[in-house]
Amino acid sequence: MTTENVFELDGRPLRFEDGETIFEAARRAGTAIPSLCYDPRLNAFGGCRMCVVQVEGIAKPVASCTTKITRDMVVKTTTPKVERLRKTLLEMVLSENPDRQVSADRGLAASEMNDLAQRLGVRRGRFAGATSGKSRPEDDNPFILRDYDLCISCYRCVRVCAEREGDYALGVKGRGFATQITAGFDRALGDSTCTYCGQCVQTCPTGALGDKQIMRFESLSAAPETTRTICPYCGVGCSVDLVTKGDRLVGVRPAMDGPANKGALCVKGQFAYDFVQHADRLKTPLVRNEAGELTPASWDEALDRAARGLTESIAKHGRKSVYGVASGRAPNEAAYAMQKLMRMLSGAHYIDNCSRA
Amino acid sequence: MSHQSPEDLVGHWKGAEAPLLPLLHAFQERDGYIREQALEAISQGLRIPLADLFAQVSFYHHLTLEPDGWDAPRVCDGPVCRQKGSKALLNALPGARPMACSGRCDDPIPVLRRGQLTVGLEAGGLQTRSSPLPPPPPDGVRECVFAKIREPDRATLKGYRGTGGFRGLAWALEADPDALLERLDQSGLRGRGGAGFPTAAKWRAVRDAEGDPKVIVCNADEGEPGCFKDRALLDHDPWAVIEGMLCAAFATGASLGFIYLRYEYPETYGLLEAVLEEAHREGILGEDALGPGRAFHIHLRRGAGAYICGEETALLNSLEGKHPFPRNRPPYPVTHGYRDKPTAVNNVETLASVPPILHEGAEWYRGLGCGEHSGTKLISLSGDIRRPGNYEVPLGLPLATLLEDWAGGPPEGRRIQAVTMAGLSGGFLDARDIAEVTLDDPSIRARGSFLGAGGIIVYDDSRSMRDAATDAMSFFADESCGKCFPCRIGTRRLLERLEGSAGPTAGAEWVDEVKSIGEVMQQTSACGLGQAAPLVTESLIRRFSEDVGWKHEGADPS
Repeated sequence: MTTENVFELDGRPLRFEDGETIFEAARRAGTAIPSLCYDPRLNAFGGCRMCVVQVEGIAKPVASCTTKITRDMVVKTTTPKVERLRKTLLEMVLSENPDRQVSADRGLAASEMNDLAQRLGVRRGRFAGATSGKSRPEDDNPFILRDYDLCISCYRCVRVCAEREGDYALGVKGRGFATQITAGFDRALGDSTCTYCGQCVQTCPTGALGDKQIMRFESLSAAPETTRTICPYCGVGCSVDLVTKGDRLVGVRPAMDGPANKGALCVKGQFAYDFVQHADRLKTPLVRNEAGELTPASWDEALDRAARGLTESIAKHGRKSVYGVASGRAPNEAAYAMQKLMRMLSGAHYIDNCSRA
Repeated sequence: MSHQSPEDLVGHWKGAEAPLLPLLHAFQERDGYIREQALEAISQGLRIPLADLFAQVSFYHHLTLEPDGWDAPRVCDGPVCRQKGSKALLNALPGARPMACSGRCDDPIPVLRRGQLTVGLEAGGLQTRSSPLPPPPPDGVRECVFAKIREPDRATLKGYRGTGGFRGLAWALEADPDALLERLDQSGLRGRGGAGFPTAAKWRAVRDAEGDPKVIVCNADEGEPGCFKDRALLDHDPWAVIEGMLCAAFATGASLGFIYLRYEYPETYGLLEAVLEEAHREGILGEDALGPGRAFHIHLRRGAGAYICGEETALLNSLEGKHPFPRNRPPYPVTHGYRDKPTAVNNVETLASVPPILHEGAEWYRGLGCGEHSGTKLISLSGDIRRPGNYEVPLGLPLATLLEDWAGGPPEGRRIQAVTMAGLSGGFLDARDIAEVTLDDPSIRARGSFLGAGGIIVYDDSRSMRDAATDAMSFFADESCGKCFPCRIGTRRLLERLEGSAGPTAGAEWVDEVKSIGEVMQQTSACGLGQAAPLVTESLIRRFSEDVGWKHEGADPS
C-alpha cells in the first residue's frame, strides 16, 4: 500500500503518509513553502493563503496547509503565478501594519514575517491604507505585551491558547479588517482565563505579542546566547533555552523539541526566573543565633540543626509532632526519599506534597 | 419569555439541536441586549468558552452588547435602498444604524427594530405590511416555482393542498429514492443559490455517505444584496419548501432538517414557526413523516446578521454554535456537514423546484427553458426599473427582454446604464452586454460574470458607476469574515481606492494596484466572498474606465 503513496512535488516523486497535507510533506522534504498562519503544533487553519501552490487539474491555486495529498497529485510550489500571488499578498499584509521593526527578542517567532518579506524580496510601502490592529497599552500585566498594531490576524495566539493550552482565554472580536484579538470580555488578560503561559507570545509571527520580561533587557548590548536546560520548577522536566546576555539571565524560551513539553511552558517556567539573580536570593543556609536572628551557616551546620530540632521535638512531643511537605519542584525520586525520611524518622505518615496541598 | 431566568432559558434549549443562536436571541429579547451574565450562563450551560461566545456575539450585526442596543432602528442601507434615499431616512430616525441589504428591494426601505420590520420612505410613514407577491409573468410564459404562488391561500396548508401541493412527494413515496434522483438528474436541476451544483448528485452523495442521522439544511440566509426571491417563496409558498425538504429527506435518508433563516425576515420567521408547528401537528413532519417509522423533523433557526453565513460551511458552523468562519474543504458537507454528519445544504428555490419537477416530470421542466437551456431561474430585479420584483424566467431569456418587456424598462426619460449580476457578486454589465446577453450561465460567464443567486440591480444613466462600485465594495468589506488574508485586507484596500481615501485615486497607477489586489483575491481567497468581490472593480475598469480616469490601451479584453 505505502509504496503506492507517491505524488509529484516540483517534478520529483515523493512518498506521503495517508492524510498528510502538501505543506507537511514538502516541509519534510526540505521545501519551505511560505506561510504565516502555520504552527506545526496547531490544526491547519488556511487563513493566510501564503502557502498556495498549483495542483495540476485544479484551476485556482490551493492552500497547501489544508490540502491533503492524493495519489499521483502533481504539485508545483514555485510557478511564476503563485510566486507573484504570494509576493503581492505579502505586500498587502505588510500594508496593514505601521512599518516598524521590533526586536527579535519579543518571542520565538517574532521575526517570522520580516524574514519572509526579506526572503521573497517584497516591496514595502505598497497598497497604502488604514492599519488594522489596535495595541492595548493599558493592559499593564507584567508578562505579555499586547502590541496589536503589529497584528496580522493569523489567530495563532487564539488557536494555541485553545488547542494547546486549553485556556480558551483569547477570542476574535468583530470581523473583516476591523477584527481584533481579545481576551475574555475584551478587557485585560488578567480579567480573562489567561494563565500567562506565554504560548501566544512564542507563536506570534510579527512581535505583536511580546515577552515583557525579556524586553526589560533589550538595551543590553551583549549578543544573546541560549543554553538548553531543564526548568527547575516542577517534576515535569520541561526543556527550556535560557537566554543570557553576558552574565545576565534575560529570558526563558520553551524548547519546541523538548520531549516533555514540546514547546509548552507554564507561567512560572516562562516568566518567573528573576529569583536566579535576585539580590534577596539566599546563597547559604541560615540558622538562628541565640538572639533569634538568622545568620549564614554551612550546610553541615544547618542540617545538624534541623536534625536536632526534629529529633528533640519527637522525643518531647511524640511521633505525630512533625510533619513533612515535599516540594513540588522536586522530582519523583526526591519526593520518594522525602516520604521515606519522614516515615523512618518519626514512624508516622505525616507527609504531603505541596502540589497537593 | 421576559420573566424567564437564565437557568430556565438555558435549561430549555440545552438539550435541543443547534441551541446557541436561539438562546442568544432569547436573552437579547428578554433584556434588550446581551448581558455579560447571559453569556456566563450560556457558557456554563452549553460549555462554550466565554471568549469564544464574546467573539461570536461581536461578529453578528444584530446581536448587541450595548444596553438597549436592540432598541435602535436599523435602516436598510443596501445599494437599492441607497437609490431610494436610505441616507436621509437614517438621519431622520433618532439612533438609527445602517444595515446591509435586507432583501426587500421590491418595497420601500425596510426598517428593523426590536425584531419588527416596517417599510417606508420617510420616518413618519413607516408601515407594517406583507411582502409583495411576484408580478405576473407575460402571457404564454410557463413557470415552475411561481406557477401557483399567486393562488389565494397558497400559504395555508388547506390552500396548498387545494392547489396541487404534495403531489411531487406523493409521486416519490410511491416510487423510490432512486427514481426520484433519476428524475432530478434528467431535469438538469442545479443548485439555485449560486454555485450551481447538480442537485441530484449532491443528494446521492449524502445518501451514499457514512453517518447517522443525515441532515437536510434549507439555506434561507438570503444575504446577497439585491436578492429577495427566497423571501417571496417562504412568505407566499412555504409549504412548497417543506415539501421540497421532505423530498430531499426521502432521497437521502435524512431524519433531521433545519431551515436557517436570515434575521432580517422576522415576519417570515413567525410564519414558518406556525407552518412547522402545523406540519408536526398534522403528521406531515414527525416520527412517521415519510411512512411508518420514517421520521423527519425540521428545526427553524434564525441567523443574526452575517452575509458569510449564506456560505454553506459558515452556516453549518453558525448552526453548531461555532465562530461562523467558512470551513476548509474538503471534506465537503455531503460527508462532513452539521456536526460532521452527511448534510445536504440546499437553497430555498432549489427545494421549491423539486416538487413540481417530480410531479410534472423532467421533460416538462427541461422544456421550460429557452432553446437548449433547461428549466427556469428566479430573478430578483430591482433598482432603476419600473416594475421591480421577482420574476421566474426561462433560462436563456434575453436580458433585454426581461428588462424592457417584462419589467417596463427604466424610469421615464432615462436609459439603462448598467446592471449587476448575482446581486453584487457578479459585478457590472454595461449597455452593450445588456443588449447581447441571455440569462444563462454560459452567456453571462462569457462576459466574465455569473448568474449566481439571480439578483439584478439596475442603474440608469443618472448614476455614478464609481459610486455604485464603492457601495458594493463597502458591503463586501463590512461582511468579510476576517479569516483569510486576501479578502480581509483586499476588500478594505479596494474600498479605499474606490473612495479615494488612500493610495492612488485614479489613472494607471490606480488600475495597477486595483488589478493586483483583485487578482490575489480571486485566486487565493478561501471562499466565494473574496473570490467574487473584485469582479466589482474588474468590471468597473473594463466597462466604465472613464469613471476611474483611465483609458484602455488596445482591444477590450472581453
